[in-house]
Amino acid sequence: MKTNIPFKLFANCILVKGISRSTICDLQRNDVRVIPNDLYDLLIENEGKTIIGIKELYENKFDDIIEEYFQFLYDNEFIFFTKQTTIFPKLSMDWSDSTIINNSIIDIDENSNYDIVNILKQLNTLHCRHLEIRNFNNARVNILEDILSFLNESESTIQSVEILLPFFKDIEEWITSIKDKFLRVDFIRVFKSPFNQNRVPNKDCKAHIMFTKQNYISELCCGKISQKFFSANMKAFTESMNYNSCLNKKLSIDKNGIIKNCPSMQNGYGSSDSVRLEDVISDSNFTKIWNISKDKISVCKDCEFRHICTDCRAYTENPEDEFSKPLKCGYNPKTNEWSDWSTNPLKEKAISFYNLQAVTEKP
Amino acid sequence: MILLISSKYDVSTNNVIKWLNYYGINFLRLNTEDFNSLNHFSLSNTSSKLKVNNVDLDSITSVWHRRGRLRHVPNSLNGLGKVTDYLKKEEDSLVKSIETYLKNTRKYIGSYTSEVENYKLEHLMMARECNLNIPNSMITTNKKELIDFYNTHDQIISKDLRYSINIKTEKICINSIGTFKVTNDLIKGLEDQFAPIYVQEYIEKEFEIRVFYFENKMFAMGIFSQQDEQTQVDYRNYNNQVPNRCVPISLPTDIEKKLLEFTKKVKLNTGSIDLIYSTDERYVFLEVNPMGQFDWVSKNCNYYIEKSIAKEFLEVCN
Repeated sequence: MKTNIPFKLFANCILVKGISRSTICDLQRNDVRVIPNDLYDLLIENEGKTIIGIKELYENKFDDIIEEYFQFLYDNEFIFFTKQTTIFPKLSMDWSDSTIINNSIIDIDENSNYDIVNILKQLNTLHCRHLEIRNFNNARVNILEDILSFLNESESTIQSVEILLPFFKDIEEWITSIKDKFLRVDFIRVFKSPFNQNRVPNKDCKAHIMFTKQNYISELCCGKISQKFFSANMKAFTESMNYNSCLNKKLSIDKNGIIKNCPSMQNGYGSSDSVRLEDVISDSNFTKIWNISKDKISVCKDCEFRHICTDCRAYTENPEDEFSKPLKCGYNPKTNEWSDWSTNPLKEKAISFYNLQAVTEKP
Repeated sequence: MILLISSKYDVSTNNVIKWLNYYGINFLRLNTEDFNSLNHFSLSNTSSKLKVNNVDLDSITSVWHRRGRLRHVPNSLNGLGKVTDYLKKEEDSLVKSIETYLKNTRKYIGSYTSEVENYKLEHLMMARECNLNIPNSMITTNKKELIDFYNTHDQIISKDLRYSINIKTEKICINSIGTFKVTNDLIKGLEDQFAPIYVQEYIEKEFEIRVFYFENKMFAMGIFSQQDEQTQVDYRNYNNQVPNRCVPISLPTDIEKKLLEFTKKVKLNTGSIDLIYSTDERYVFLEVNPMGQFDWVSKNCNYYIEKSIAKEFLEVCN
């Protein structure tokens, strides 16, 4: 450490203050470190000063702790020392995307009979890049194959496809039969499987395949908030700073063919067989939810993890309030403790409002 | 309509295309790997006309020449030895002339001619004329001169003058390792006379700077390859796991001005410039690459360079 040369934070290491503690989100190396709020304040107030100078500011009463702080920052390469402090700007927090709709969820169950190809055609003109197809209860592999074939033939803008489907007897053969034919498929999640297995992409199979014993009975299973889903990357972080980290530029079709922000949401914008997606997108009611960033959501706005986290607007603690905390989040930023959301007595009312009891029951 | 000349495999081109689509800008992409049928390039007293792959290029308002050049010799004529060599030379003259024609009549960004005439020594001289610092450099065929140069500098490096070497025959395989330090042992092994060798003083750096520029817009990134000793010792392994820090830089105005003047002087309206910020606090120009990758600069600094490039063409189209 060079204690007599001014320090700077690397621009891609971003400080996020929570109510009880803060984080350094390292957007280059996808790393997150929890720091005390004292250190947050120290960094915000003193960036560009020397460590010697900072110690003096505190009348050399806290030299040890300041030393310890900066050693931690230096060891993790969050800071560097330079006299050229003015040429290093902050990282721009702009987020921008070359699509009208970036990603889409299409749900199908055994009764779904809406025209999916019609939707795919429209998604193409909206420059959609990612598609998630969720197949609840019965695996409808014919429909899945039709979708994938259409994407291939039409040279769709959709680059990646994620499939959720239930386990069935010949599923291994089925996966083998589609994996080389449909290179857009990059993730297949098989639920209600007799075994748990995670197959990462390799030279034989470009798709990530996951078998899980868990059961996804319906769209009610969505919206869980967990540390497992944290991601500190530039695109997601900047999007979260400006827009909703789940729903921005998303358009979904629920199992009945209704156009929605997300299949789990109550609000529908008409049947996809009769309403054009373009018209839904020009409806400000549909798009205003895209602007609900974490800084606007109660509790989340006090959370040190808010910009590396996912969100859920479908299931919230107070169904009446569009800025309410995600229901399925068990984190308390005041106490910094995680608890099980489904057993929290304060959430009982909301759980029964959404009919989520079945989802919360332990097997 | 915009003409894009690029490699099929160039990710940056694809990223710009996404934004062209977003803005609804028409484009024609011609890939340098494919045979591009030339209908005609015709000249008369009063007009010039160009048609490729049955597309009338008169409707082209601007060109982004990302990399490489078009192929107008059919694949069937490859592999005819000296005849093919001859045809390629004829083709080269044609391709360069078409570039000149388009350049004189339209906005034309990038250049095949500049890509192949990338002479590092010329660029050093031009940079010096623009009052940029350059490293002490020497080209020599003489061992004694090389030893003198070595002795007057703490450390020296060597690199290619133009292209990195890549020779593969049945007997040998030679690949460039890029810039390397020249050691006493290396010099000892040399004959008294040799083919021209390019050496430069090694400059101790605080950080490196990569500047991607497109017309008058500059996007600078600082690269901290010297952050701590651990990085140097276990350089390769460490780097895969933990990449060097790359952060945005706003260059001092006078440096940016000099660089801009330099780009005009070398007639390169897009490219990547490598600089060093030395431990003795100087900005030192190293070289310019006419076809530099900008994807990593854009991503690390959140610059959206691909969007900027598309916008540049939006202005021409409107």
